[in-house]
Amino acid sequence: MEREQLISKWFNNELNDQELEAFKKLEDYNDLIQLNQALQTFKSEEYDTAEALDQVLNTINSSKKETGSWTKYIIRIAAVLAICFSLYYYTTTLDTTYTTDISEKTYVELPDQSTVNLNTKSTLVFNKSDWKKEREVNLSGEAFFKVAKGSSFHVKTKTGIVTVYGTQFNVKQREQFFEVICYEGLVGVTYNSQETKLKPGDRFLILDGKFIANEKEKNLEPSWLNDESTFKSLPYKQVITEFERQYGITINLVNIDENQLFTGSFTHTNLDVALKSITVPLHINYSKTNNTITLKGE
Amino acid sequence: MPKSIQDHVCEEHMFSSIFNKYAKDLHNFLYYKFGEQLHPKDKVQEAFVKLWENCAKVTPDKAKSFVFTTANNLMLNEAAHQKVILKYQATKPKSYTNETPEFLMQENEYHKKLQLALANLTDAQREAFLMNRVEGKRFKEIAELLDISTKAVEKRIYGALEKLRKDIKEL
Repeated sequence: MEREQLISKWFNNELNDQELEAFKKLEDYNDLIQLNQALQTFKSEEYDTAEALDQVLNTINSSKKETGSWTKYIIRIAAVLAICFSLYYYTTTLDTTYTTDISEKTYVELPDQSTVNLNTKSTLVFNKSDWKKEREVNLSGEAFFKVAKGSSFHVKTKTGIVTVYGTQFNVKQREQFFEVICYEGLVGVTYNSQETKLKPGDRFLILDGKFIANEKEKNLEPSWLNDESTFKSLPYKQVITEFERQYGITINLVNIDENQLFTGSFTHTNLDVALKSITVPLHINYSKTNNTITLKGE
Repeated sequence: MPKSIQDHVCEEHMFSSIFNKYAKDLHNFLYYKFGEQLHPKDKVQEAFVKLWENCAKVTPDKAKSFVFTTANNLMLNEAAHQKVILKYQATKPKSYTNETPEFLMQENEYHKKLQLALANLTDAQREAFLMNRVEGKRFKEIAELLDISTKAVEKRIYGALEKLRKDIKEL
């Protein structure tokens, strides 16, 4: 057998007894054994597979977050977009609110060129994006509407719903007070699920929960549009609360029957003149201290 | 066949078993090929981390080639910048001392020569030769690890032996 083959077989641990003898007879047998022994000192240091695996798994687990960062990045972008979109959607579909404070009035144009005059201390809420589907406003306080022709128009208040068919009308909803006056066209008022139709000049009034029939309104528009509040046979306390709203003051009544009926008006522009208009006819004296006014009956 | 789909490298138990099967061989392969100053342990770790990152793309039967190739490339990237200086583990202290100082000196001399001679082998010769001689791997096992034929392994090892013998004589 050849030398090379023998050595190869020796390397591969394949020598049989006979071959081993032949191998031992090789002239450089001793050299080979010496070399082989010396080589053993070059053995690599012990490799601890279990420990290395632990390390690798640790590295993997700590870098898992990093490897997922690509998807996380996408998720973040998506989240931002979602927030932007929902914010956009929210703001565009958000109800539009107009609020007037004490002694403040405002003029609002609705999306279809209907207009609303908002009296003092009132709130008007409507939804721009839903306007084409449904013309509907929520009102708390007093407002005068000029409604453009179109589908039915609803004014929702705490007390009742006013349905309009292209017209001009005034809605006043205050504490214990709900009044609708139609100036033009036709207005339906739903109160306790019963609809009352108002023709021009008709007035619908609920006072302390009771329906009060009233004479016709002769004016073409509510007087408050001309900075004046007008009352027809209304309890004096309604006059006082309206006065407080318009001027932002507090009124104390001393020795006065607040349920007596009052007919008359007061201006919104001059406090002294206005005070005289509500006190003189009833023979009442008034005194002013800061923002408080005391009315004293005789 | 469906089993190879189930046994995904991405699953930790599968990954661990691949690691247990090949990590040591890979480490030794790198060690004998490049020496220890290029940190074969770290390269093993890096290669397996890379395997994990690419676990979806590498099937279990390709995993071995993947880590061997990856680790080898990692080594080559570093080795390219410097001439590989091979320093094998210092000679272990002998457990027996009943030898003459002369013999010890000769032996020490021999080791130094052997070290130089090993450094002079080609990477391919050295890795195959030492895996066989030191780790006791059969030709067939080495052939599988290196993806070459058994005959080629035999050639490399025998070639390595001849070169070593020659170098040691000359030195």
